[in-house]
Amino acid sequence: MRKFTFLLLSSVFLSMTVFAGGYQVRLQGNKQNGFGLVGTPLSVGSSAMFYNPGALGFMESKIDFEFGGSAILSTAAFQKAGSNYQAETDNPLGTPFYFYFAGKLGKLITLGLGVYTPYGNSAKWESDWAGKNLIQDISLTAIYVQPTIAFNFNEKFGVGLGFVYTIGGVELNKGLNYSGDAGVNLKGDATSFGYNVGIFFRPVENWSIGLNYRSEIIMSVEGGDATFTVPSSLQGVIPTNNKFNAELPLPANLDLGVAVQITEKFMLAVEFDWVFWSVYDTLSFTFEEAGDLLDSKNPRKYSNTFIPRLGMEYAFSEKFQIRGGAYYDTSPANDRYFTPETVTLNTFAYTLGLSWYPNEHFGLDLSFLQTFGLKSDKTYQPDNFGGTYQTSAIIPGLGLSFKF
Amino acid sequence: MKTKYILYFAIVLFLAGSCKPVVDDFTPESGSADLTSYVAVGNSLTAGYADASLYASGQEYGFANILAQQFAYAGGNGTFKIPMMPTEDGVSPHLTPNGLYFTTKLVVGYSTDCIGNVSLAPVPAVPNPDQAKLGAELTTSVAADGPFNNIGVPGVKVGHLLAPGLGMLNPYYGRFAANPATDALIGEAAKVNPTFFSLWIGNNDVLGYASSGGTEDITPFDGPAGVGFAASYTAVLQSLLASADKGVIANIPDITSAAFFTTVPYNPIVLDDQAQVDLLNAAYAPYNGAMAQFGLPYRIEWKLGPNPMVIADLDMGIPVLALNIRQIESDEMVLLTIPQDSIKCAFWGTQKPIPDEYILTAKEINNVKNATWQFNKFIKESASDYGLAFADFNSLMKKVSSTGMVADGITFTNAFITGNLFSLDGIHLTPQGNAIVANFYIDAINSTYGANIPKVNVSDYPPAVLP
Repeated sequence: MRKFTFLLLSSVFLSMTVFAGGYQVRLQGNKQNGFGLVGTPLSVGSSAMFYNPGALGFMESKIDFEFGGSAILSTAAFQKAGSNYQAETDNPLGTPFYFYFAGKLGKLITLGLGVYTPYGNSAKWESDWAGKNLIQDISLTAIYVQPTIAFNFNEKFGVGLGFVYTIGGVELNKGLNYSGDAGVNLKGDATSFGYNVGIFFRPVENWSIGLNYRSEIIMSVEGGDATFTVPSSLQGVIPTNNKFNAELPLPANLDLGVAVQITEKFMLAVEFDWVFWSVYDTLSFTFEEAGDLLDSKNPRKYSNTFIPRLGMEYAFSEKFQIRGGAYYDTSPANDRYFTPETVTLNTFAYTLGLSWYPNEHFGLDLSFLQTFGLKSDKTYQPDNFGGTYQTSAIIPGLGLSFKF
Repeated sequence: MKTKYILYFAIVLFLAGSCKPVVDDFTPESGSADLTSYVAVGNSLTAGYADASLYASGQEYGFANILAQQFAYAGGNGTFKIPMMPTEDGVSPHLTPNGLYFTTKLVVGYSTDCIGNVSLAPVPAVPNPDQAKLGAELTTSVAADGPFNNIGVPGVKVGHLLAPGLGMLNPYYGRFAANPATDALIGEAAKVNPTFFSLWIGNNDVLGYASSGGTEDITPFDGPAGVGFAASYTAVLQSLLASADKGVIANIPDITSAAFFTTVPYNPIVLDDQAQVDLLNAAYAPYNGAMAQFGLPYRIEWKLGPNPMVIADLDMGIPVLALNIRQIESDEMVLLTIPQDSIKCAFWGTQKPIPDEYILTAKEINNVKNATWQFNKFIKESASDYGLAFADFNSLMKKVSSTGMVADGITFTNAFITGNLFSLDGIHLTPQGNAIVANFYIDAINSTYGANIPKVNVSDYPPAVLP
């Protein structure tokens, strides 16, 4: 079995050249977190609402409640092209969290509510670093609230549909090339809608297949606050307090996964995720006042990505399971339009996890991920700013589950 | 067993916590150049002159000082002595009919014009400065602090580098020459036992002509060392190569694309009153009649809207001196130094012709371009003849003035003040402009000598200070 696993891993890693990343955060369940973030072909409780609503009806208890979160400790390092200048981010702790509650209404129907955070980004460079005119710091959050209904037509087949309401916020600071530490702070909120649909299928015993589609959601900030710090002689041209509009897309995902219970204790799963990042072509800002001077269209030119994932679980008993997994996530960013606001590199990650159920109602899930961004030369051509970037992150997570 | 696994978990966490992303360190190398001791030879650009003056921080932000700091990563000895000015306000001498007059640097300030309009404009850092104080700051000798690595001297032409006694004529050299009455500027170079030099010279050989509106002469190409451009340039190079065996030389940008020449429009006379148009046309009717009589195509005509200014142009060669005037063409240039108030309130350009010294006529522009082309051809040939690195600032300037260029998110154009490249005098560089120039030199040196000298962050240098 170990040999088989290794072969699968190496073929995956060698053949994949395209992948996701960007500002997506798929840490939405601590069981799945340890399992290579594979979730589509699993029915492990109410967290299926994010990974595959079609699997929600297959939860074993009548009522299932899960909540938890992760702590993302990430760093990006930068070596400027042609220079001995180096910089490193001092990113604040990223804290994706989730909360799922689901209950069965008879055999056919399961209802649930999920709250989770599948997109986010926080990067903090030093305010006087070499790329200060591109970005000093950014914080992007999106909270998804998803009422869900799932149907189990029989023991083999289920579908689920979630309606997604998104509450998002963004805040960023960047320098302006005027005297006296000039810069701009942009801060805005947005809400939007989308959906999440999935199919879960158990064709034969010990096999399960999941297919999930999460729709694209465009977050439109309207009337966000723009605060400009410029020399007083320019304040007639660049008003201190302004309003801005901008759009940030949260891309659609299509995930396909297969899980096999190879022995009574050992489960293996693979999943392939397509992330439709090409929607993120341009980041445009328009301003209420002084638009002629301030409006900007900033190319991002992201490409769609593909992520292969592998997950394994070994169950010592009903009460205790350990997990491991790995994935390779390619950067959606374009090499020539790569900005330090989102340092997204081709990334390899391994995952570990365990679950412990002291009794039939309560479970504790722990997970741990480590990601390794592959060192790469990138440039943001419109600003002629580039160099070598590398990233790494460690992500411990803790979740609790209750079932009745 | 559970506790065992939880313990493993904790160990992995602990080990992973020590992993940080690492980028490879840059490895500076001097290649086949020896950067131990660097001497910078040239004019105001090398001296760090900016904002129409030489002042302390301008000298420190000069490209030569930036280069010296970067050379220190690749074998440079870290010593780069500059004949520092004792003032941050700067001193600039001007020859006036009443003798020498000293001014300070320019800063951006609020200026009230003759009509009472207030606008942001370059104004003297110190209005009506204390002449005795500025005179002393400019002429007090700092020779005892030498020898100097930066021997750039504002105003020098290539022939001046060879001239004994230049210090008596040019106080910027006089203040650091050991024997101003007899020393030649080029002799300063050998004093620091240079292993590497930069030479950026020739700009004033054409700029003097251009910035005086064509009233000074362009240096002739031919002629003996000290007179002709070619022989002087070669003599300077040979003198430098007697001690340093490697260096970088730079050509002359097309100075007519500098903000100094491109900022003031040719047609700033805006007429919005038909009666005024008629009056002006009536006033110039005799002129137009005379031109018709001479069989010359010149006509001075006025209309509503923007009108080209009337300029004096002695090249017209009309025997009646007062008739050597005409309206300026759209491809001719007005110098940044033109007194704007005279246009607005003293009828310059309408009733009084703009004096020749503020205008670069099409013929003069052509002379500047031809001389620049000829000098640059010689400089490039010299670079290959002597195996020197060559910095093509003429091409860089073309790029900046046509498409602009960007570095670290900062856009550089030839626009005055907003273009970030030119300081408040419209022809010398801002600190960020100096950083661009230093990086451009580094590119040239790296590619010629197989060196790997680190470049600087342009964004580390300050933008124009605005109130």
